[in-house]
Amino acid sequence: MYPRWLWPTFAAPGVIWLILLFLVPFYAVIGVAFGSVDPILGFAVPAWNPANWNTGWVTQVLGELAPGGIYWDVAVRTIEYVVISLAGCALIGYPVAYYIARHAGRTKTLLLILLILPFWISYLMRMLAWVNLLAPDGYVNRFLIWSHVLTSPYGFLDGQSSTVIWALIYGYIPYFILPLYASLDRIDRSYLEAARDLGASPFRAFLHITLPLSKTGLLGGAVLIALPMFGDYYTPNIVSGAPTTSMIGNQIDLYFHGGPQPTIGAAITIILSAFLLILMGYYLWTIHKATKELRSI
Amino acid sequence: MPHPKERPGPWSRSSRRDFLMKSGGAALALSGAAPLLAACSNSTTTSAASSGGEAVGPGGLPLARPDKRVTLPLWRDPIESGLEPETGGEFVVYNYPAYIYGKLLKDFGKKYGVTVKVAPFDDINSGIAKLASGAISPDVTEMTPDNLDRVVAGKLIMPLNLDYIPNLKKNVWPSLADPFYDGGSNYGVPYTVYSTGIAWRTDRVKEDIEGMSNPWDILWQSQAYKGKVAVLSEPRETIAMALLRKGHTDINTEDPKLIDAAVADLQELYDICNVKVGDLQYETIPEDKAWLNQAWSGDMMSGYFYFLPKPSVGPLLRFWNPGYGKGPIQNDMWSICANTKKPVLAHLFLNYMLDNGVAYSNFVNFNGYQPPLTEINPEHEVSKGVIPETLANCILTADDLGEDSLQEMTLTTTGQQLWQNGYSEFLAGA
Repeated sequence: MYPRWLWPTFAAPGVIWLILLFLVPFYAVIGVAFGSVDPILGFAVPAWNPANWNTGWVTQVLGELAPGGIYWDVAVRTIEYVVISLAGCALIGYPVAYYIARHAGRTKTLLLILLILPFWISYLMRMLAWVNLLAPDGYVNRFLIWSHVLTSPYGFLDGQSSTVIWALIYGYIPYFILPLYASLDRIDRSYLEAARDLGASPFRAFLHITLPLSKTGLLGGAVLIALPMFGDYYTPNIVSGAPTTSMIGNQIDLYFHGGPQPTIGAAITIILSAFLLILMGYYLWTIHKATKELRSI
Repeated sequence: MPHPKERPGPWSRSSRRDFLMKSGGAALALSGAAPLLAACSNSTTTSAASSGGEAVGPGGLPLARPDKRVTLPLWRDPIESGLEPETGGEFVVYNYPAYIYGKLLKDFGKKYGVTVKVAPFDDINSGIAKLASGAISPDVTEMTPDNLDRVVAGKLIMPLNLDYIPNLKKNVWPSLADPFYDGGSNYGVPYTVYSTGIAWRTDRVKEDIEGMSNPWDILWQSQAYKGKVAVLSEPRETIAMALLRKGHTDINTEDPKLIDAAVADLQELYDICNVKVGDLQYETIPEDKAWLNQAWSGDMMSGYFYFLPKPSVGPLLRFWNPGYGKGPIQNDMWSICANTKKPVLAHLFLNYMLDNGVAYSNFVNFNGYQPPLTEINPEHEVSKGVIPETLANCILTADDLGEDSLQEMTLTTTGQQLWQNGYSEFLAGA
């Protein structure tokens, strides 16, 4: 018989990690959002004690996030970009994950390695590589002109929303495919065989068995990439640079990077986090529901 | 009103609060106690700074302007004259990335037996924030005149002993050897000087920009160059440009109506040219990724020196600035960090960077941003073949500075918020 404390001890490093590297910094951001600014040097002075919180910055930002406010359009644009990118990731990523999980055969390991390969290169480097590829004299334009699709270079980098969305898809899709693949790979094939035995077509079997059972993987992948996408500012900076394609993360960057109002940057951050908590809550609720259903079988 | 140097010292043992309460005498006398008291309190307000009829900066010191000279109070005594420089160990230079020639640093280190390292910061504001947090302890730091007020009040930089820096009087433009923002050069020496204007490629932009009655208008007439037009990603520069275009030469205004109107003008650029923001024009214009940019004079010099994809691009580059009293002219500085363990060597570094040979080498061999040396003039550089005649107006002379010159200087905290929020609105792209 093992002592009761033994197994929880195994979780200790993870818990300490979470407290030190997530909860404490996040509370610091909350403290900054509800804190003040050093009147001379302009750096943030966090209010650690909730009794001393100044709600002014957060209410100011909430007001500006309402329709007609300074941040309304950029917030709506951010949501649009993220939703379209998520849809793009699902459309491209699902078939890839499905193929690897079901049909890759001997090449499965190789394909998984190829899938992990982008993680070896920093996100920033991959984006910068695209800048060169998409430049007026880059390989993409050269190919399109060579193949007579275009007669002159297309301005992919001229502040296009589509370029930002494609870059987001490209940058985040590996993080989407991996959990989805894991989810598809775990599906018991006997369910599908049973469906086929009962007369379901391959498409109906997919629709009624595979798709519902991969829902947690889809949601997991979506949450995994939606969270960083909402705070992304370097992707639009690198592949566009136009204010008309900026995201809410660019506003956070502006206020945190300097000037007398880091508190506004922190306030936007925690409001964004609160919004993302809703997505996270839905994901957790779905997982909980799925687990409950599995236990009841 | 006691002269700052006559105030009792030493300041090093007093707190910043003490400094502001007791020793900001000149500022207190000039501007009233309220802003300084506000600065000293733990109040959650960030509003600043105007009382008794005269506005002051975040540090509680009077706002310097080209026609209003300010002498910054000494928060401690400068080091004694005649000391030997410290040797051994590291000497850390805090600066923008790639803004100083590495070979010169190596030479300096070799001369004084130290290893010189550069600690980079992204921009001056985040650099100051990091310096203030104590996360870094460099020996010397790049600084800008509009931030002097707060770094002095915050005791982040130390007063200079100019006995160690003879090159300041010997080689530098008189207006920057004793500048209006730091009378007597108590806290810094100039590093580079540059004007703000427009850069373009003549093979892409066909208009005679220099011949236009208001050349700033070219950005608002740039439909043909959609996607290839950019403005600087600097709140002060961007909004100032829109103000100047409309004839408002007070580029330190804190009038909300003027700022709002300038931001609205900038927002027109979305539809006109899908304007971009960025500071890479020294690279993007020579490489044909951008055709028309708001730019600094030093950008086209850097572009010409280092970013030409082929020599034939050089003659295509152009730069325009509005000229004396009509457009912004700025300078960067060097200051000595308050916590340096090598104060004597730090002084010698400042002197080294103002040596004619060193400063010129930094300019033409690496940086592209000119030092304000009296021996540098456009004609000379053109005749030597260092730059083409078409870019001669990138080089400034002492005549470009004076009481009527336009310089983006310290604002009150309220003013800073106003400009930042205006830029945020522009950046939101709506």
